Amino acid sequence: MSGFEDELREALRREEPPEGFVGRVMARIQSREQAADGPETSGPWGRLSAAFRAPRLRWATACAAVALLVGGLEYRAQRMERAEGERARRQVMLALRITGSKLRLAQARVRRIGYAPVER
Amino acid sequence: MRIGIVFLAATLACAWAQDIKMPVGLEKLSAKAEESVDVTLDGNLLQLAGKFLSDKDADEAQAKKLIGGLKSIMVRSFTFSKEGEYNPADYEAFRAQLQPPAWSRIVGATSKRDGDNSEVYLKVGEGSQIGGLVVIAAEPKELTIVSIAGSIQPEDIVKLGGQFGIPKLDLQQKKAGPKKEREDE
Repeated sequence: MSGFEDELREALRREEPPEGFVGRVMARIQSREQAADGPETSGPWGRLSAAFRAPRLRWATACAAVALLVGGLEYRAQRMERAEGERARRQVMLALRITGSKLRLAQARVRRIGYAPVER
Repeated sequence: MRIGIVFLAATLACAWAQDIKMPVGLEKLSAKAEESVDVTLDGNLLQLAGKFLSDKDADEAQAKKLIGGLKSIMVRSFTFSKEGEYNPADYEAFRAQLQPPAWSRIVGATSKRDGDNSEVYLKVGEGSQIGGLVVIAAEPKELTIVSIAGSIQPEDIVKLGGQFGIPKLDLQQKKAGPKKEREDE
């Protein structure tokens, strides 16, 4: 019986962990936590975000953003030109209408005074 | 003597080439005016306006054709609430620029009774073209000055008859005798 007890005691003897064991365990735990916090690569969103992290798609995204910006600026410039052109068109018509009415007035005055309308 | 002739020719050439400018004093009238119109269109703006003038609308199509050869259009029009708000001296500086031989006054109608004055000047251009048109219309409660610079074909002005209310000007008589000043009373 004592032999069995001795074997059991020997088997259950407190043993110190090997050197660096605690450090390795903590490092393993930390790496797993980081993996859990990082972007998920499973599921549609995860796959999509992972796809955008690919270098080619990153460039394509940048090019699309630049094209969008340039297109937006061009559209804005065209809108401004159109507004300015419409304003110029209205001013031309106004100026010609005023010119016409004043020429008519001049002609009416000349007629009223009773002379021939024009000569050079 | 030669230097004098050269100087005179240079002065005349400068006067010929000079564009008409609106006097600064004229702008002050807008403060007194009940209504005022200020239109200044240079060559670039006229070109831009030409792109937006419709070919389908008769008035706009004619205007598009007319502004094709123009350098600028300036209109200043002031309407006052009562008489005596402006002085003929206010536009005298403008009229002083319209000197022969570059400019010819083709219409001058003054009515002392009504207190109004209408003048039309044409700038002699190259060939049969008119290089500019100026209209001064002074009424007791209204003053309008129009200056159009650039190449205008006489037939374009004739075609404008009936459009924009512009009367037909008899430009075929340009070879007629010396101009007359017409004054009422």
